[in-house]
Amino acid sequence: MAYLGGDDAERRHAEGRSRRAESRQRAVGVVVQRGLVVAVAMLVAVLMYGTGARGAASESVRNPDSLVLLTYGDPESLDPAYAYDTTSDGVIWPGIYETLITYDGSVLSRYVPRLATAVPSVANGLISKDGLTYTFPIRQGVHFHDGTVMTPADVRYSMLRFMLQDRDGGPSWLLLTPLLGTDSTRDSKGNVVVKYADAAKAVTVEGQNVVFHLNHPYAAFLSILSAWSFVLPEKWAAAHGDWDGSAASWTKYNNPKLQDRYEFDHTNGTGPFMLQTWDRQTKELILVRNDHYWRAPAKLARVVIRTVSEFPARQLELQRGDADVIAVDRPDQTKVTGIAGVTVQDGYPTLVIQVMHFNQKIDSTANPDVGSGKLDGNGIPPDFFSDVHVRRGFAYAFDYNTFIRDAFRGKALQPNGPIIQGLLGYDASLPKFTFDKQKAIAEFKEAWGGKLWDTGFHFTETYNTGNAARQIGAQIIKDVVESLNPKFKVDIRNIQFSSFLQVTVEHKGTLYALGWAADYPDPDDFAQPFLASNGDYPKRNGFSDPRADQLVKQGAETADPAKRAQIYRELTKIAYDDVPGIYEAQATQFVVMRSWVHGWYYNAILPPLANVGFDFYTITKQ
Amino acid sequence: MSRFIARRLLLLPFVALGVTALIFSLTQLLTPAMRASLYITDPRQLNGLPDIIRKYHLDQPVYVQYWEWLRQVAHGDLGWSETAREPVLAAVQGFFPATFELAAYSFACILALGIWLGTASAVRKDQIIDHISRFTSISGASLPTFVWGLVLLMIFYGHFGWFPPGRLGLDADLFVRSGRFHPYTGLLTVDALLNRQWWLLWDAARHLVLPVATLTYFLTATLVRITRSSMLETLRADYVRTAEAKGLPRAVVVDRHARRNALIPVITLASLLFVGLLSGVVITETVFNWPGIGRWGVAASQQLDIPAVTGFALIFAAMLVLGNLCADVLYAVVDPRIRLR
Repeated sequence: MAYLGGDDAERRHAEGRSRRAESRQRAVGVVVQRGLVVAVAMLVAVLMYGTGARGAASESVRNPDSLVLLTYGDPESLDPAYAYDTTSDGVIWPGIYETLITYDGSVLSRYVPRLATAVPSVANGLISKDGLTYTFPIRQGVHFHDGTVMTPADVRYSMLRFMLQDRDGGPSWLLLTPLLGTDSTRDSKGNVVVKYADAAKAVTVEGQNVVFHLNHPYAAFLSILSAWSFVLPEKWAAAHGDWDGSAASWTKYNNPKLQDRYEFDHTNGTGPFMLQTWDRQTKELILVRNDHYWRAPAKLARVVIRTVSEFPARQLELQRGDADVIAVDRPDQTKVTGIAGVTVQDGYPTLVIQVMHFNQKIDSTANPDVGSGKLDGNGIPPDFFSDVHVRRGFAYAFDYNTFIRDAFRGKALQPNGPIIQGLLGYDASLPKFTFDKQKAIAEFKEAWGGKLWDTGFHFTETYNTGNAARQIGAQIIKDVVESLNPKFKVDIRNIQFSSFLQVTVEHKGTLYALGWAADYPDPDDFAQPFLASNGDYPKRNGFSDPRADQLVKQGAETADPAKRAQIYRELTKIAYDDVPGIYEAQATQFVVMRSWVHGWYYNAILPPLANVGFDFYTITKQ
Repeated sequence: MSRFIARRLLLLPFVALGVTALIFSLTQLLTPAMRASLYITDPRQLNGLPDIIRKYHLDQPVYVQYWEWLRQVAHGDLGWSETAREPVLAAVQGFFPATFELAAYSFACILALGIWLGTASAVRKDQIIDHISRFTSISGASLPTFVWGLVLLMIFYGHFGWFPPGRLGLDADLFVRSGRFHPYTGLLTVDALLNRQWWLLWDAARHLVLPVATLTYFLTATLVRITRSSMLETLRADYVRTAEAKGLPRAVVVDRHARRNALIPVITLASLLFVGLLSGVVITETVFNWPGIGRWGVAASQQLDIPAVTGFALIFAAMLVLGNLCADVLYAVVDPRIRLR
């Protein structure tokens, strides 16, 4: 009994414990539940308060002293002698680096002084009568961002550095061609062929003037200098491991790789904005106002340029006012139309052409895009596109109207070659390819001696990540070509822009989509890079036509506009016959920004950062 | 237990060796020239491709190549990432904190919500909470992350403006870069606390809400289902019925007797879930423009940035091993019957 009694007592004791535990648990539960309710209520209150504040802020200008621009391309380099893609150029010019003269606002045919104090002309005696000598009086009292004073020697150094650095696929040809009569400092085997003495004689300092001595008369020279005469300090560059300006050492600095130069991610210009940060992990650039700018300081305190590859995120940030300007492809235009507080300005004619390029000499080493690398149905050989019938087949297989409708909402023209509307020599009556499956089949049947149609092919075409228009173009090619013959296989791959450029420069592109924005508004700027065998794309793609080489040279040197126009018409015919690429579209452009952004003007030459280019100096938010 | 942990940690290099061997074998599917990119730490070396192939014996037998590769990794050199425009190791160090922060908060939410919902669902089987729980699980698992992420973004940022994408707002971003902010850990919420910048903590937290909510909704589903089924099984066990028969309150039976044992399979899942989270944030980071390792991984894969992808895989393999170790240790903590020796 005692045992039982003990058991009973233990049970009662246990029950008592469990009741106490239960009651404790309930009490704790109640406290927790009440705590949760209070916490949720507080959170809601805070959020509602936050929303109220946001709601109020959305009515007024958000971040009034900062311009936030969202785009999908990231810069390749900030070195003004290396950068040759629109994102890099759009970042550094005209915000960070300035040129000797520049375009007068939107007007491309009129120039205004910038780092020079006058625009040379024959009338003011700053251009010699034979058109070979251009004199620029250099502005005094201009400081670089590091506080040092700009001198004519800095201008000369910058021009020589621009020419002599001459990286593969870079912009140096723009000055080399008119000043030294060559488009490269190296021969085809990579040996340096330019002499320093020739370059030194081409740009000289005379007192406060810098004088350019041209190799041959070149009508577009002022136009080139308006966009390609960036000035940086010689001592600063040399102190950071760059060329010191001496004759003995320049070849050491010729044709650098991306990170060879300190200027790759450091800047020191004279412009209204200075680089504060280039964060390659968050893909964000921050430019801050240069308070010691030689003109009045800019209104904006800073410019934030951020890569946001997903359109919905860009769109929502614009909608909420956290972004002021965003890049929008044509197919997405309707998604930003009608948003309160957002302005869409449309119809700006561009000097931009979209092209699908045929690489006729593909480097198949470590190249994932050529399949087997043979004409066996599982790949393509390196010279696959060297057969004109292959190129014509693809050109006929491209549905131009669908592309313009889907990628540009119908707001583009089909060019008949690289000389686009708005340039001297454009002639709408010249022939162009049309979408014709039967002609495409006929061309493919003739290709590779009739072998291609039986063996088939398989390769990957490429475009840069985030570019919806190029993606549509690539898809059209794939759909149509694969529908012609079940043995034809085309895959599509997108690559981040900066890497994409690298791939094409290394001759690893197959059929790839890449456009061209004018460096300067002259037909020579399109004829040279598209049709001269030493031009930018022919070098990447192994294209060469001696007739084109001769005409490009003549066009650049001829002063008479009528004669030039005829030359560029001839070049358009050659482009039609040789088909170095598929000339897909010349678009009109639009810009999407918050209504509180003012002072923006359209200039077809400013490198597009978000559909169009930006001179941040003139922009205000109010 | 300490002996067990020490032994497992000693085994770690060997497991990592196996994992790297597997990764390396996979790279053998690529041509020697493609594999040479592993040794390129600077774009300048691209011109010397044939020299690199010779120097690193890429035309040699696999075991010779593997040894060379290991030597490079042992020196902390994982190659150059074209996508990040910096060495892979530096890129990982830069991107990792953002991903870790996102994963840690998501993991805490997943764990809390998953276990609570799973338990409640089992205890109140076929009642309203169970139905809600099962519906949530099914919808969470079946709705693609990017759809759910975009929906959340459109409602809670586009409409209400509460939770923006990215990692920081403009003011906070500028402050962090101003030099007045010391980045102790790279985890912005923690650093904001350490810097005593409460407004910045609030800003960072607001940016975390939607990606955390997306990952939580997507990944809680599995945990809820495992917890629920495990709890249901445990609740039917003899010792649970004995506890109930003794007259113990339901809450005590559930909390102390049933849930603790039911958590064993949950621990396995949870520890792997954390590793999965770190690698599985790819879509979420892309949708929310979160500058983490997942977004970089997507870009690297798209561009065939082989060194980045290899380094990426190596690091996550190591984390998987550590995750498993954590699971083993937690077994012993939760279940006294398990003795680690």
